[in-house]
Amino acid sequence: MDPGLRRDDSVLLIAGDSTSRRIRVLTTATHTYSQPTASEGITAFFRSPRAVPYLLLLPAMIVIVAVVLVPLIVSFWTSFTNYNLTKPDTLFNFIGLRNYQRLLGNDEFWWAFGRTFLFVTITLNLEMVLGLGLALLVNKITYGQRALRTIMMFPMMFSPILVGFQFKYIFNDSIGLVNNALFDLGLINQPIPWLVDGTLANFSIIFAEIWMSTSIFAILLLAGLMALPKEPIEAAKVDGCNPWQVFRHITLPFLMPFVYIAMTIRSLDVARAYDMIRIMTNGGPAGRTELIWTLMTRIGYQNSQMGAANAMGYVSIILSIVFTFYFYRKLTAARTFMGGAQ
Amino acid sequence: MAQVRLDKVRKSYGKLETVHGIDLEIAHNEFVVLVGPSGCGKSTTLRMIAGLEDISGGTITIGDRVVNDLPPRARNISMVFQSYALYPHMTVRDNLGFGLKIARTDEAEIRRRVDEAAEILGLGPYMDRLPANLSGGQRQRVAMGRAIVRHPDVFLFDEPLSNLDAKLRGQVRVEIKKLHQRVQTTVIYVTHDQIEAMTLADRIVIMRDGHIEQVGTPSEVFENPVNTFVAGFIGSPPMNQLDAVVVGGRARLSDGIEVPLPAGLPVSEGQAIVLGFRPESFAPRGHSLHGDGQALAVRSTVIIAEPLGTETILFVSLGGKDVQGKMLNPRVVAPGEELDFTLDLTRLHVFDKATGRSVRL
Amino acid sequence: MSAMTIEKPWQRWLIRLGVFIAMLILTVPGLWVVLTAFRPNIEVLARPAVWIPQQWTLDNFQRLFGLSSAQQGLPVAQYFINSLVISVTSTVVAVVIGMAGGYAFARYRFRGKATLFLAFMLSRTVPGVALSLPLFILWARLGIIDTSFGLILVYMAINIPFTIWLTDGFFRQIPVDLSEAAQIDGCTPWQAFWKIEFPLARSGLASAGIFAFLTSWNEYALASQLTRTTASKTMPVGLMDFTAQFTVDWTGMSAMAVLIIIPALVLTFIVQKHLIAGLTFGGVK
Repeated sequence: MDPGLRRDDSVLLIAGDSTSRRIRVLTTATHTYSQPTASEGITAFFRSPRAVPYLLLLPAMIVIVAVVLVPLIVSFWTSFTNYNLTKPDTLFNFIGLRNYQRLLGNDEFWWAFGRTFLFVTITLNLEMVLGLGLALLVNKITYGQRALRTIMMFPMMFSPILVGFQFKYIFNDSIGLVNNALFDLGLINQPIPWLVDGTLANFSIIFAEIWMSTSIFAILLLAGLMALPKEPIEAAKVDGCNPWQVFRHITLPFLMPFVYIAMTIRSLDVARAYDMIRIMTNGGPAGRTELIWTLMTRIGYQNSQMGAANAMGYVSIILSIVFTFYFYRKLTAARTFMGGAQ
Repeated sequence: MAQVRLDKVRKSYGKLETVHGIDLEIAHNEFVVLVGPSGCGKSTTLRMIAGLEDISGGTITIGDRVVNDLPPRARNISMVFQSYALYPHMTVRDNLGFGLKIARTDEAEIRRRVDEAAEILGLGPYMDRLPANLSGGQRQRVAMGRAIVRHPDVFLFDEPLSNLDAKLRGQVRVEIKKLHQRVQTTVIYVTHDQIEAMTLADRIVIMRDGHIEQVGTPSEVFENPVNTFVAGFIGSPPMNQLDAVVVGGRARLSDGIEVPLPAGLPVSEGQAIVLGFRPESFAPRGHSLHGDGQALAVRSTVIIAEPLGTETILFVSLGGKDVQGKMLNPRVVAPGEELDFTLDLTRLHVFDKATGRSVRL
Repeated sequence: MSAMTIEKPWQRWLIRLGVFIAMLILTVPGLWVVLTAFRPNIEVLARPAVWIPQQWTLDNFQRLFGLSSAQQGLPVAQYFINSLVISVTSTVVAVVIGMAGGYAFARYRFRGKATLFLAFMLSRTVPGVALSLPLFILWARLGIIDTSFGLILVYMAINIPFTIWLTDGFFRQIPVDLSEAAQIDGCTPWQAFWKIEFPLARSGLASAGIFAFLTSWNEYALASQLTRTTASKTMPVGLMDFTAQFTVDWTGMSAMAVLIIIPALVLTFIVQKHLIAGLTFGGVK
């Protein structure tokens, strides 16, 4: 029973005809207060018990406003100026949409944007598939699941900088683990330029990102698999389903909310890849792995063109929000469809 | 030393009023049960008495204090929750003593009272266990113990037996009654189970849709229900209720059978009524509870027989509905058998169909 | 739990192989870095590669801290302390503030509740790297660039929404009955919270704290811009600087990497059970 919902006594029957409506009065809260009367002032409000939740949330609100909201507004404003760090008064040079226009007309930007979009899509999908596969495999292991789960958490504990460094080292063409192993196994004669060749560099960062984040999917989906109720599966087997059908029609639909949770959580952190790419390739070689985030920081900090950089920043924010929202909507849809299956 | 009084107590959630002006007076040491179907407002009323819900209107008085604005801790009450609400991180001993500790009672007194409660409820062997290591019945008793130690003015029980299985429920019911005899304190008890209400209460308060339908002793509400709702709610199996029309001093059922009504009953010719009689009043000749005195003979075919050992419940068709009768000293009855039933005319209940209210002499 | 209950032995071995390979991929890169940190440079740079370590040394670590005769590295000790101070402080404050917020959402109904919750969650969607631009501008004007305080403030804001989300979930797990019973037993709501609800939520708060600590400890994008000198630079920034500055000192870099990962690993081992619980029922419920 959901501990958040009260016992039956809170189900009120509104008398009607044969179709009486049921209104569930949710009393998760200990305190439900009536509407404020017009005659009360602000000070009276803050002394009343009604103010308690707001007071509890006040510190959080202040911090978020100060560190997120205000900078977002500043960023928004700056994106309409040609603010240059070296010339501080340019902060107030309003130039309208010119930054955005230049952005949209800029090849470099579109390449970066396209690469970013592709990067995120590829990695998210591969991570989900691999994560699901890993979860299914680990689920079948009887001994040492706990140890396996701990190992699976490692990538989550690593700083993206660490992950980037790790792969920078491993993919290094002269002394990296991969090339040395391939060399010693006689599979190659020439060192493979994992991080130096344009295409391979993209492969390397995708590999690194998948390495870093597949675990999140695997762990969440494993938790989902463990929560899977046995009865529907047994019923399906009695009804004549083979293992694949059971998976497709019973297991997978049940897991979908977990998949979407993982997708949503991942979308929030999709920009963590920036840290990793910065140390691995820094957008190189020659901009072949330039994603929107590396481009943004380059323009903002190295070229001091804050206005343009902030415009790009907003594009990246919108990208992040779009992905997150998309998966969140799917999540809530899947949840209602499953009727709160847990 | 406390009576509890509710004066026109109301509860609203925003614009929705759920408890409509309850008036109730509870004497000291009385065991009062609030009973009714889900959503009738009984738990809400109890929680208002406890101080866990704000009172939207009216006053609640405990002893000689109006407690409307007092927080729960200032009302000197104890409550046993449906879920027991034992503190999971404390041992039984600490659970029992928690309230006293908060009140800064001195150690010796805490120990004395805790041991006293443990002895009354038989908790001795479990004192150092955590709630997770107790059975449902044991947890229930710890919850009661926690309520006792503070020697409150009023005990409140919120459906404490719902989470127990049937057998345990019966046992704990007896323990609660014994407890009340030993610890002479006012008890207000909420349940949806009318059997609990009948067996435990000094007085029963039957509620529906935020109103009090009837207040009375168990025998009062059983023998003189004030409307069809109470009549159908109290008593198991429930009272049979048949639609009828008053024709010449009799009640004519939909299948034509006419039942003589008591003389002088304030009904008018042609009035639509509901005729009520309990299964105990309707039995095959020779097998009834009250003898075959003033009775109407009805020959009916048995549809279903439910043998319970000491009695058999028989379902027959009467007045267009399935009606239950109680056959004492039963013999085996097969479905389809035709029997001579007697309907005890001294134990008829007549209700006006439109209002549902009882029609009395 | 599983789709197949009857398995042939070869299937079982295939599964075990698959899991083994996966675990290998997950652990080898990190292990290799750790190994490198304890090996001398000559061995690491040797061609052909030396697979089985012949020599062990702590020299790399000593170099980091400037304790060896070889070249002076970066002021790693200072970076470590900065990271520690910043992470611990921002975590503690974020957990306290987040706990208060989570409790408000779990226990109260009030106007604007859903919108406020959404706003908090949305604030997490802003990528750190994008936020670093305006924050740099603002923090520079406020003069808190290159201060621990500036970074602590930012990390608090990053950690609070997730902490609120987690603690909201955890508090909902605790029946309201307990607080009510405590209040009937004589507690004020404040007392009831500290004596009953808080102890029961402790493991949840610990998970929230671990998550927050790791987020702060591992963060790079914001730290790289909001810090300038050793006064406030953190370990991730230090590692980046190291790779830029000493491009072939792989052992030194590995040693630094090891320093970054150790606190994280220790914490993970301690609370791995709770971490999973936090992720899932905070989300699925």
